[in-house]
Amino acid sequence: MRQRYFAFLSLMLCTIVALSVGGPDRVQAADNVIKVGVSAPLSGPAAPWGIPHKQAMELVFEEVNSQGGLDIGGKKYKLEVVAYDHKYVIAEGVATVNRLIAKDDVKYLTILGGAVAKANEEAVNEAGVLVLPLAYAEGLVSPKNPLIFHSFPAPPETATFWKWVKEKHPEIQKLATISPNDDTGWWSIKVETQYTEKLGYTTVAKEFFERGLTDFNPILLRMLAQKPDIVSVNAAPAGSVGLIIKQARELGFKGRFIHIGQLDTSVVAGIAGKDHVEGMWVHGFVETPLPEAVKSWKERYTKKYGEWNATSIDFANPAFAFIAGIKKAQSLDPKKIAQALQSVEFENLWGKARFGGKDFYGTNNQIVYAMPFSEVKAGVATMIVQLPPPHN
Amino acid sequence: MTFELLLQSMIIGLSLGSTYILMALGLTLMFGMMHIINFTHGAVYMLGAFVIYYGFGQWGLPYGVTFFLAMLLLGIFGFVIERCIYRPVHGGVEATLVALIAMTTLIQSLGYPIFGTLDKHVPTVFHGMYAILGVGISAERLMIIPVAVVLVVGLYLFINKTKMGAAMRAIEQDKEAAALQGVNVHLVNAMAFGVGFALAAASGALMAPIFKLDPMMGEQPLLKAFIIIILGGLGSVPGAILGGLILGQIDSIVATVLGLEPAFLLSFVFIILLLLFKPTGLFGHEV
Repeated sequence: MRQRYFAFLSLMLCTIVALSVGGPDRVQAADNVIKVGVSAPLSGPAAPWGIPHKQAMELVFEEVNSQGGLDIGGKKYKLEVVAYDHKYVIAEGVATVNRLIAKDDVKYLTILGGAVAKANEEAVNEAGVLVLPLAYAEGLVSPKNPLIFHSFPAPPETATFWKWVKEKHPEIQKLATISPNDDTGWWSIKVETQYTEKLGYTTVAKEFFERGLTDFNPILLRMLAQKPDIVSVNAAPAGSVGLIIKQARELGFKGRFIHIGQLDTSVVAGIAGKDHVEGMWVHGFVETPLPEAVKSWKERYTKKYGEWNATSIDFANPAFAFIAGIKKAQSLDPKKIAQALQSVEFENLWGKARFGGKDFYGTNNQIVYAMPFSEVKAGVATMIVQLPPPHN
Repeated sequence: MTFELLLQSMIIGLSLGSTYILMALGLTLMFGMMHIINFTHGAVYMLGAFVIYYGFGQWGLPYGVTFFLAMLLLGIFGFVIERCIYRPVHGGVEATLVALIAMTTLIQSLGYPIFGTLDKHVPTVFHGMYAILGVGISAERLMIIPVAVVLVVGLYLFINKTKMGAAMRAIEQDKEAAALQGVNVHLVNAMAFGVGFALAAASGALMAPIFKLDPMMGEQPLLKAFIIIILGGLGSVPGAILGGLILGQIDSIVATVLGLEPAFLLSFVFIILLLLFKPTGLFGHEV
């Protein structure tokens, strides 16, 4: 009996190890294959960011591969995504990046999540890996990280939307913020509140929560007692924002919500209820109207994955940037690609994009392009304005 | 802090405390009888919520029916766990503990391929807002309180007024003596597993329309349940009730006044101080 039990236990543990170790979603590597690592939350509350990012990368690469691949120095290369799920857990984010660099031997990476990217900063610098993160964290874009090219507009760029709010909605004066309690949340809120206070807004509450929290009632009670006109949920993932909005509405909050990071409002509405999300302002999530390039992308994306996800529009940036950089560099050397990225202009789905921001960050490692902002109208994220970045 | 805010905070604390009690009840019942800490409790809470997601949210079964179905199915699962894990190791505490941790990881890992990677949500069951002493609270949160009361009273009656409950109490006091008196220890243990799992499922089923669902959703409630049963006294049902109410109020009032982190810290400080003066917790006894 005892032997049978231990055999059962061993089998179960083996299954768990096999499941938890898992395997990357990729095809067999070959000499003429360029592997790009993706470390992203593919499960959990932040999965609405991670899944469309991985899918967007795969789709862009598949389209390049179907046209014969990339011609680098007279040799044809196919592109391949090697993706791991870090669940937006920092320890898992470090483990996945280590594995991508040491085991999968990738030289180019995307990391989704500021806290995760920040935790991997030294490791990627030491390994000399080119990183195109979708991540908010203080100091990530900096001259000391020459191989890190932030591929999504960050709070120093997107905060410019507040100017538009000030102009169009002068009745909004008191702001409350609620964000994750990590590098991503701290920096996002720091930048946003510095910007809004310069514009004359009063920050009446600034709250942080641990990722994974589900009951926001006590923290909301404290926050809403300050009677804010608008609540910023910057840097919070869709799953958490859905609960925040639902519970805030239950507590009687009637004002607007704003997220100048990126947020899938359809996921939020699914949790909070469609009516509760009405009027919300978001950056980087547009359901209508879509320009021709995005309409075409939508068709291709829907054909491949069966379901449209508007987050994929902006989260395809690392793929477009990488292809542009490697084409210009005509080299597989991450340093040469990095040099090329600082001057190359390329097309993303919103039009012309490039890396700039030297006047703010001290280096041209921040993507800049005309940023789309939406308002949820009748349940649909409707683009209301496209704003140029505030710095070069 | 205004009186209205304090009152609102206390009502939210009561609702929070009720959810904590539901989670802690099954955990403390199983510890009291078998001296095992059921790490699977959080995973069972999650499974209870997903039964609601599929039964009520996807297939359109009535919520009440799905609620009892969740308790029944996961109660049977508790029986199976007792038969396949607890009984083969003759109730060995360490072996059971390791096996239950492994089972938790297995269930959570399987959750992603089975339930999907995106968070799920369940439509609201109890709509509307109620005003208590002028303080607004949603109907679905308010419903937690009577359901918790019904389950607590039901468990009390089961343990104190039924033959099976008497057998459970006998095993809790002295397993060997109970066996010598003709109590079928295996059956009663299986029943304790079943009831413990059913209570965790009830808690998950009740929370499903309020929160979002994902395979890891049981981890935080499990942590709270551990705090409560230590606070109330390991194995004590009244302790779990009082512990849940105290922790609910700390989490709500302190978080409202000082913020979430001080509330989290204070709950541990409170426990440390209590254990310094009363190591067995509020209602616990020496094991």
